[in-house]
Amino acid sequence: MAQTYRVTFKASDQDGMERSASVEIGQTILDAAHVAGVAIEATCGARGRCRSCRVKILSGEVPPATIQDTVQLGHDDVRDNLRLGCQTKLIDDCVVMAAPPKSESGHQILGANLDASEHGFSIASGVEKHLITATAPISEHNQTADWDEIFAVLPDNIEPKLSLDVMRKIPTALREKGGEMTVTIFGDRVIDLEPGNTTEKKYGMAFDIGTTSIVGSLLDLDSGECLVNVGGVNPQAVYGGDLMSRIAYAQFDAKKLATLRVRVINALNDFVKEACSECDVSSDHIYKIMVVGNTCMHHVLLGIDVSYVGLAPYAPTVNDAIVIGASELPLKAASNAQICLLPIVAGFVGADTMACVLATRIYESDELRALVDIGTNGEVIMGKKGRLMACSAPAGPALEGAQIRHGMRGAIGAVEKIQIDDDLACEIIGDTSAIGICGSGLIDACAKLVEVGVMERSGRFRRKNREELSEALQKRFVDTPDGTEYILVHTKDAGKDEPITLTQGDVRQIQLAKSAIFSGIAMLQKVMEISDNQLTELMMCGGFGNYINLASAVKIRLVPNLPIERITYSGNAALMGAQIALLSEEERLKASRLAREIEHVGLATHPDFQDIFVEGMSFLGGQDGPGQAVDGEHRRGRQEKVTVGD
Amino acid sequence: MEDPVLKIPEGWEERAPEGWEWQTLWEAVEEGDATYADERTKQAIDAGIDPRVILDDGLFPGFDLQADRFSASVIFIPEMLITARAMKAGLALIRPLLAANDEKPIGTFVMGTVLGDMHDIGQSIVTIMLENAGFNVINLGTDVHPDKFIETAIEEKADLVGFSALLSTTVYYQKVTIDEFEKAGHRDKVHILIGGAPTSQEWADECGADGWGKDAVEAVRLATKLVGEQRAAWT
Repeated sequence: MAQTYRVTFKASDQDGMERSASVEIGQTILDAAHVAGVAIEATCGARGRCRSCRVKILSGEVPPATIQDTVQLGHDDVRDNLRLGCQTKLIDDCVVMAAPPKSESGHQILGANLDASEHGFSIASGVEKHLITATAPISEHNQTADWDEIFAVLPDNIEPKLSLDVMRKIPTALREKGGEMTVTIFGDRVIDLEPGNTTEKKYGMAFDIGTTSIVGSLLDLDSGECLVNVGGVNPQAVYGGDLMSRIAYAQFDAKKLATLRVRVINALNDFVKEACSECDVSSDHIYKIMVVGNTCMHHVLLGIDVSYVGLAPYAPTVNDAIVIGASELPLKAASNAQICLLPIVAGFVGADTMACVLATRIYESDELRALVDIGTNGEVIMGKKGRLMACSAPAGPALEGAQIRHGMRGAIGAVEKIQIDDDLACEIIGDTSAIGICGSGLIDACAKLVEVGVMERSGRFRRKNREELSEALQKRFVDTPDGTEYILVHTKDAGKDEPITLTQGDVRQIQLAKSAIFSGIAMLQKVMEISDNQLTELMMCGGFGNYINLASAVKIRLVPNLPIERITYSGNAALMGAQIALLSEEERLKASRLAREIEHVGLATHPDFQDIFVEGMSFLGGQDGPGQAVDGEHRRGRQEKVTVGD
Repeated sequence: MEDPVLKIPEGWEERAPEGWEWQTLWEAVEEGDATYADERTKQAIDAGIDPRVILDDGLFPGFDLQADRFSASVIFIPEMLITARAMKAGLALIRPLLAANDEKPIGTFVMGTVLGDMHDIGQSIVTIMLENAGFNVINLGTDVHPDKFIETAIEEKADLVGFSALLSTTVYYQKVTIDEFEKAGHRDKVHILIGGAPTSQEWADECGADGWGKDAVEAVRLATKLVGEQRAAWT
């Protein structure tokens, strides 16, 4: 047997459980964490390019630091026995602690609460319950089957074929309440049989499976009322924060694909149970589950190989709307449900974008509108009734706080807003001491720092004439051997023993991310020949869209420079669209038609993309740095003494 | 951190006519002023300054300054690109003169993005920078099949081949392409460099590349070093 090392993960909070695992030589601490069931995130996909998996080695021989350890953590942390879990191969039994303590509790769930009439559709979910009375067979001579008796009293146009699950329910259902029973139909098929009258109990769930988080809601299929929203981090995130690292993890490896699939199915099961117990609803009465998500999430849920979604031309395996029984998936917690997935437009314009299209009704608009779903991948839909175009912009996870030195999600302790007068002040989610900064905070920080001149339009921290700034603002600059950082929260006010800073590298990550989205919008404008003036409305949606400062989004050029009143929030439109398709079969079927009509534009292959992308990296307003002057007028004439041909 | 500073070429006055100044060209390249870089380079040529001298004393100082800043994360892609373009404007005038003086490119570099990957930006920046540094660069574009890399490398007698991969899902094809070079029996005839956001030195070692450029500046330094070594080995 190969030699193994035992790794013990010490809980970082007091009531947490200690876990441990034995792993073979050559495996990393992150591998051990996966075996032990400790959730350590590796947002960069375990490539040693971020700090999310860092651990502190408390006892046992400390493995030597790799180059990535030093680059990501710095010499001080390395001396303090901090290491990147993904890079550190074990050389001894050891006790480690995931650092920082997992404190992203209270992750904000952006649910959606829907008003059917406001959204212009009527509730008809396709799930119908019929109360019938049937008699059990009585004659042995002219013998009938149980199902014959039931089928005889069912409404017309019902498909006589049954699933095995339903067949198994017949004997009891028919006899327990003297033949009084409730039959549940979806479309033309019988999906459930129960003794007695349960016609009042008809529920459904809508889920948006995002790369980073999963949100869901439980709805009453008759009233359309949303009973509860549930959600949390997508448990696949430990295998890579962005879409591409997630695909790369499972690429050409069926076992790893299965790992991802099991993780998401387990999460859905847990959310179903959580929602039902919160509302005192039996999960047997959930009959329809509407799932939306990007193509990768969609395929992984279904167990379809995603290898080729990650390679040009990034085509999906299937793109039509899908309906399958819960037992096929399998989703055990809601075994009677039909699981419906919205159609996909293109590899990177998935079912979640289709849901946004349904929710915003952009396909009915008489005026030109744009819809931007901001996430790890930003999708843009633009146009009006009759012609819609779509593209996808690979923003990466920076705007969700990943791969940012002090980045975190929008959870308690995250800096979400910034104000600068003589000094800088932060608003923290949950009004506690700050432990990091989330996407909306990053956007606000960049906008405000450019505005007051701490940062140049090019994204570079000010290097000259800092004395023109107020003293308090000057004091926040820290010039380290690794580059300039700017202190947002001083150590004394922070919830950890270091200041919360924004590094030059962080700003660069944000520039790449926001320019991707900005260029996506600009490219569709270019292809469709739509000027800023012609855009009546730009609707932003997505997990953090609701907390974002719109003026700041314009300032950093995440979106075009439109008058603020033309930019709106559509909240979590993907979840809302899933709810709409859950409550209305008509809407769900409409999505299939729309998905075929939307034209997809590939960005990377477009000849103008690079120029737009590079140009899109700068911010609006503030001071120009070097690199903006292209007129040599001031230079001419400085050389006068030398005559030509001398 | 100390900001990178302009390295003024030692003894430049002796190589220029009396009263000549380079300061404005250094600044023009630094600030990405292509119009002025073009103008000033023309003036220098007209003034009879040796093209090699114009390149080393006039164009490179401003470019090197920005390259150092880019490496140190002080400036970013847009600023580096416009500097590279200003440099290119000057170089376009100098290059034919260098060729006429029988100065050869310092090496031939075949460049492209691997199969399955449509991203252009990284490799196009490296291409400009390599050309600026004096390489003859053949850019094959994106989504390049391994056979195309091999074919071109043989045809052009390339010293170096570089492939970029910008997606975590396509870095795999860097290894595939290197394996194909091996199978074609051409692996030891070229130096292979890889780069791209999801790559690392570890990956370069694992996939059997000769080097990894953390960024465009690093890639050019590495390429220059490798051809230098190659020349040294021959002589």
